[in-house]
Amino acid sequence: MKIFDFFNLDVRKQNQSKFRKIKLLICSVMLIMSFTIIGYRTISLASINKNNVSNKVYAEIENESIPKSLRGNIYDRNNKILATTINTLSLNVNPQEILNIDQTIAKLIKIFPQLEEKVLYKKLNSNKKFINLLKEISPREYVSLLNAGIEGLKIETKNKRIYPNNTLAAHILGATDIDGNGIAGIEKKFDSQLQDGSNVTLSIHSGIQHITRTLLLDQIKKFKAEGGAGIIMNAKNGEVFSIVSLPDYNANNYNSILNYKLFNKATKGIYELGSTLKLITAAIAFDSNLINENDVFDVSKPLKVSSRIINDFHPLNYAINIPEVIVHSSNIGSAKIAEKFGSSTQLKYLKSLGLLSILSLEIPELGKPQVLIDKKVLSTMTISYGHGISITPMHLASATATIVNSGAKVNPTLIKGKTEKKNEVIISNKTSLKMKSIMRLVVSNKYGTAKKAEAPGYLIGGKTGTAEKIKPSGGYSKKENIVAFTGAFPMNDPEFIITIMIDNPKGQKFSFGHRTAGWVVAPIVKKLVTRVAPILGVNPQLESSSKFSNNLLNYKIRGKNHGANL
Amino acid sequence: MIKYTSSLIFFVILFAGVSLYQIKHFITKKEIELTQIKNNIKSAQSNINILKAELSYLKRPDRIEKIALDKLELREVLPTDIWNLNDLVSATSTFSNGEKK
Repeated sequence: MKIFDFFNLDVRKQNQSKFRKIKLLICSVMLIMSFTIIGYRTISLASINKNNVSNKVYAEIENESIPKSLRGNIYDRNNKILATTINTLSLNVNPQEILNIDQTIAKLIKIFPQLEEKVLYKKLNSNKKFINLLKEISPREYVSLLNAGIEGLKIETKNKRIYPNNTLAAHILGATDIDGNGIAGIEKKFDSQLQDGSNVTLSIHSGIQHITRTLLLDQIKKFKAEGGAGIIMNAKNGEVFSIVSLPDYNANNYNSILNYKLFNKATKGIYELGSTLKLITAAIAFDSNLINENDVFDVSKPLKVSSRIINDFHPLNYAINIPEVIVHSSNIGSAKIAEKFGSSTQLKYLKSLGLLSILSLEIPELGKPQVLIDKKVLSTMTISYGHGISITPMHLASATATIVNSGAKVNPTLIKGKTEKKNEVIISNKTSLKMKSIMRLVVSNKYGTAKKAEAPGYLIGGKTGTAEKIKPSGGYSKKENIVAFTGAFPMNDPEFIITIMIDNPKGQKFSFGHRTAGWVVAPIVKKLVTRVAPILGVNPQLESSSKFSNNLLNYKIRGKNHGANL
Repeated sequence: MIKYTSSLIFFVILFAGVSLYQIKHFITKKEIELTQIKNNIKSAQSNINILKAELSYLKRPDRIEKIALDKLELREVLPTDIWNLNDLVSATSTFSNGEKK
């Protein structure tokens, strides 16, 4: 039957028309659906909330669209720029594109009078296709160039790292190489962070850094010394306010500076800092309980140990106690104290005070201490007064901070607001109080070696140190000294640490030929504290005031009436 | 019926086409504006950086110190120049008591 239908034309026509209608309907439905979707999307896009779009665009601008191509800035603790990157323009030329050389030279010299006509003529007549005329041009000169309409000139934009304060904190900031990678100091330590465009805020205070540098430089010049280092640090959280190493350099000229100027004496250089180490000896003596507070030590005769004779710079002919050993800076007394507590105890405390290892400061230029750890009696004795132990001035500042900060370890940091877990306690609060009292006496007592450091009202305390310099060939030089002071202020509640070191000062007429720490370093401490204390918010405490309380122990100090032991 | 549907579809297509063209035109315009704004921001950021660096250079502590000493004739603050407010009050009361006597 179907075969017959196939040949029936009417039936075929009817079927075809039916199929067409169905196809048309499907196509219509699909088209309507597509255009409904397109229409809906069009209307929704046209009537979208503008604010949403704006916010989205702004977010895009801030996060992705504008890459932070410039290296991050380095700021001081008051958000003052210490290092930044700016775009500079360099002037290049393609001599082949210049039509009128004489006219071009005339126009260029008008804008850049520093360019020489002969040199320009030679350069512009060259066969080369690219010649640099000036490495840097100012934005104003750039505008003048555009107005002059000189053909063949190429202006290239480059990033340049600049240090607006020149010498200020140069050793800490470090430098970058030609490709913008950090190669020294903070620039190196925080390179990846700075490369990402993030900023670094240091604990350094520009003003205090400048004052420390100026006063240290003055004294170095006065005593014709080779150099020095100066540190001011928060005694409680270790934030470093100033850290100076002299000689220094202009940070903008890092690549053309001699190596010896680049050397950081404050954190990299290790020195025997002499009697300043007696503070640690006394702290060990009190804290280890191996020595009675009232024990006395006979210092009337030089002490002979093995082949070495230990002398005092200011000999006394009677037995003295620990505070007197520190105030008179007796080597014999210090050696006898150390002999009593022994090598193991000494090394244990030196280790816990961080004097046997590299500091965790945030710069790569850090020195590793060198200490005689042969456990011989002689080594224990000499280490007790700072011989046979070479540390950086920063190590000494850190140990001083721990001693006066109720014995809680203070780790120096160059980063502002760096939070640290609870500090390890190295010495007891009781020992710390005794040490603070003795340190104050070194400055305030008439026999104290740091009398010249006394600044009325600021209750400075500390310890001086004068050590013979180690000769490069070995042994000690009788003619060259390292002089140092480490201390804190105000001693009734120490807030800041001050550590100064001067390398090889020469005796002067005004110092009666003396080149000891009492003559060379102590006066800087007085000037420095007087100038920086008001900036640091440390108010002078006048002893005449009814509210005055120094909270310190009163030790009686005996001595000869020959004047101060400077 | 088909005529009406066709007309409706035609107008919808026409409306969609015109709207799409306008949106494309609008987006292109906005993209150009955005690029300009980005360039302006970059340029402004660069200028701000230069100005900040220049300001920092002018505020160098050694320069400020020189100005303070030479032009303003300022001098260092001494401990005696700084008074604790409580001390000042007690000193004033002692002084006034003395005057009364």
